[in-house]
Amino acid sequence: MAKFLELDKGTEAGIRELLGQSLRNGQVKAVFALRRTTNGAVNYSLITDPQMMEEAVPLFPSMPSNAGQLLSRLTLKGPVEGPVAVVVRPCELRALVELVKREQGSLEGFLFISFTCPGVYPLKASANGEIEGKQTQYWEAVKSGKVVPEIRPTCRACEHFIPYNADITISLVGNKDVDKRCILFLNTAKGAELVKGVGGKLSEGELETAELHAHREERLAEKKSLYDQGQLSGLGMDGLIEIFSRCIGCRGCRSACPICYCNLCTFDSFDYEYEPSTYEEELKKRGGVRIPPNTIFYHLGRLTHVGISCVGCGSCTDVCPVDIPLSAIFLQVGEAVQKIFDYIPGKDVEEDVPLATFEEVELTEIEE
Amino acid sequence: MSDPKKEGEGLKGAAFSGGKSSLETVLGFLKRTLAEGCFDALLLPVKAPGGDSFPYVLVQDKALLEDRGSPLPPIMPVQGGKAVSSLTRRGKAPRKVAALMRPCEVRATIELFKLAQVDLENIFLISIDCPGVLPVKDFAADPEKGMAAFGEVLEKWGDRKVRPVCQICHRFTAPLSDDGAGMVVDLHIGLLGIEDGEVLLIPYSPAGEEILAKLDLVPAAGGDILSAWRDRANELTKKRGEERRRAQEEMKSKVRGLNNLLETFDKCINCHNCMRVCPVCYCRLCYFDSEAVKHPPDDYLRRAGDWGSIRFLPDTILFQVGRMSHMSLSCVSCGTCEDACPMDIPVAQVFSLVADEAQEYFGYLPGRSTDEPIPLATYKEEELEEVEDAPQGASSETKEKDG
Amino acid sequence: MEEDFMPRIIGFLCKWCTYAGADLAGVSRIQYPPSILPIRVMCSSRVDPLFVISSFLRGADAVLVAGCHPGDCHYQRGNYYTRRRYAVLRKIFEELGLEADRLRLSWISASEGRRFADVITDYTERIKKKGPNPVKKEVFL
Repeated sequence: MAKFLELDKGTEAGIRELLGQSLRNGQVKAVFALRRTTNGAVNYSLITDPQMMEEAVPLFPSMPSNAGQLLSRLTLKGPVEGPVAVVVRPCELRALVELVKREQGSLEGFLFISFTCPGVYPLKASANGEIEGKQTQYWEAVKSGKVVPEIRPTCRACEHFIPYNADITISLVGNKDVDKRCILFLNTAKGAELVKGVGGKLSEGELETAELHAHREERLAEKKSLYDQGQLSGLGMDGLIEIFSRCIGCRGCRSACPICYCNLCTFDSFDYEYEPSTYEEELKKRGGVRIPPNTIFYHLGRLTHVGISCVGCGSCTDVCPVDIPLSAIFLQVGEAVQKIFDYIPGKDVEEDVPLATFEEVELTEIEE
Repeated sequence: MSDPKKEGEGLKGAAFSGGKSSLETVLGFLKRTLAEGCFDALLLPVKAPGGDSFPYVLVQDKALLEDRGSPLPPIMPVQGGKAVSSLTRRGKAPRKVAALMRPCEVRATIELFKLAQVDLENIFLISIDCPGVLPVKDFAADPEKGMAAFGEVLEKWGDRKVRPVCQICHRFTAPLSDDGAGMVVDLHIGLLGIEDGEVLLIPYSPAGEEILAKLDLVPAAGGDILSAWRDRANELTKKRGEERRRAQEEMKSKVRGLNNLLETFDKCINCHNCMRVCPVCYCRLCYFDSEAVKHPPDDYLRRAGDWGSIRFLPDTILFQVGRMSHMSLSCVSCGTCEDACPMDIPVAQVFSLVADEAQEYFGYLPGRSTDEPIPLATYKEEELEEVEDAPQGASSETKEKDG
Repeated sequence: MEEDFMPRIIGFLCKWCTYAGADLAGVSRIQYPPSILPIRVMCSSRVDPLFVISSFLRGADAVLVAGCHPGDCHYQRGNYYTRRRYAVLRKIFEELGLEADRLRLSWISASEGRRFADVITDYTERIKKKGPNPVKKEVFL
């Protein structure tokens, strides 16, 4: 049994009030959450003024950037002198954990609030302002415990929608009273400390109800159908060429990827630029060379570099101007790679990234 | 390669035909140049196997050229200047290469040459009259529909389906008159005002004349086709120029001032796609991706404390305006930035507006000449006194006068 | 035509073991097919998977990564990392339906000149049966 606090108000309002109060009484120095600007766009913000919490929309179904990437930027040069409360999605928290393992940030000083995540709409819907009109449909689906229609394909197929490392977990998926009651599971002492004095009713119960299990089954089925649709193993080189020939080389997938943290990517480096003589050789071999070269190389290479830590957040697909189904590929291949080592990226900050460690006797089947 | 000829100084053109459509004729011409050994390879857009894109390909194989060569594709997935730079950044092209591009791509190539990112030694530049391109996103969503839509664009030559910056592009053809609107190019292919199936080949450099001579094509001054092309092109240039001014005035009212700028870029997610696809933004590591913009947590918290709240990441406007200050003098209004923006921000419309004014201020036109230095890479000892001690800044005064 | 086909195999060979093993095969005059193009690396863990992908895409018929037997690494642990990276790379090839059998990881020590020749002979035969890597004709990479 786990402890949870029940506030007698809508979930988002409850969070706003809790965090506003924490700012006011100095329990936290700042809040990191989605906020609606005066012009209507929704972005992550670092909020210190309790008044400004009014503009926060921590549960808004959009992911302008993976917050793991942003929190890594915030703590790249050292941990925050917190506490700073952050409200982020499970995959964002997992991404941050992966980045911390790569020494690109710190978990120290943060108080993590996350939730059973119903998923987000594609950024496109946010670009053209469609999300506002979909809010009712979204929250109705959340209450029913069903997979929300029209959310990103990777969100539909996400089985890690329950956060791993949150101090507080907000119950959303399947919470019939999501607009009337705010239910906060207090996973750690830090979490319990934060809600002191906010009132409400403290009880004990299970976060992972039968309904959530059923929801996971539904997501797993979605994942299977996503994989079936992708037919990756049948792709081969011809299939890859077909998929990636529309790539415009903007590298948006890389900059949106929370795991791709390098300042200067090897694919932008001097090393992988062709010399004139290389062009000459390639031309002789093929009769034609795509320019700039290395499109397939870039995508395959990125898979080898980040696949092991891919959290399946879907940001790569979101920013792709030409709709390449990147996240479906990365999710599936990433998962296959992670399975070799029984690794779930972002689950446990103490667990090494598999490629940074080894066992003396293993994997003998791949030799020869 | 020399600077473009002026009207009245003997612009000559040779008619060329042979294809069922003009674009087929262009392909026929290219095939002939390859067959006659004018060039060792061609750099041009080629239809990808999926049929949904047209990447640049360095082509030597004649069958590949014939089957997939696309002299005027419906989209611009990669800016041609970037392709030429990729080919020659590390040294001159291995062989004699003819690059066929749209005018804005040729101009970007020239700017990259000045920025030492392109070697023109083995490159023969061919431009082609351009009706604009469709937004790459629309095309990717439905290539078949896109092909049909572009058919209409080619017919009407001024369709609303093309990208907003293409709709107001007034440098869609080779230089026509002596108003200084030139472009460095060896050969231009004229399509405007000419019957389908025929094209006009206009040499703009001695190298261009040589190639035509090699193919036994004799360009003539005057003639019906040349004047038909020139009349139509002149007319359209004027019309587009007016549309451009009108659209830019409108855009100006939307973006001028900090609040308007903030609103315009409100949705920006800092993916920097715009910078990466920009042909002029050639830096390997952009300042805005470098260590210089990564601050200690205290700095961010202090800034949040000062304002009550900051966007995270902050400094979106710094990036946008900073990028403008870095590249706007060489901006060729090609629109690739807007194409690549996942948030549908009108990046190219804003940037080309700023670019036009910045370029006008220095009397500079990107791509006009290989000798003319980029204004920020040169100076005069006595100039621009108006910006000294001017509290409002000289350009804003000029603008108010103009407006 | 298949008869004439001599595969080109790019071999990333660790300096301390496999490269020395190849040397030994040479000085011992053990015959093996002239298919291998050896690239000496200080340790098999120097091989970024990108080297392998690049070789494959640029038209190598096969790629061999070879180093000291597990436990014998000159740098103590290098080849353990290699093994994991290689496992990941191979999995990616398999998942995407690429020809994973054009990749190979082998441990060959400095004293195993015979084994080096055997591995090259065996690998060459297999690749001969598969034929040339079709990727070398692809334009749209």
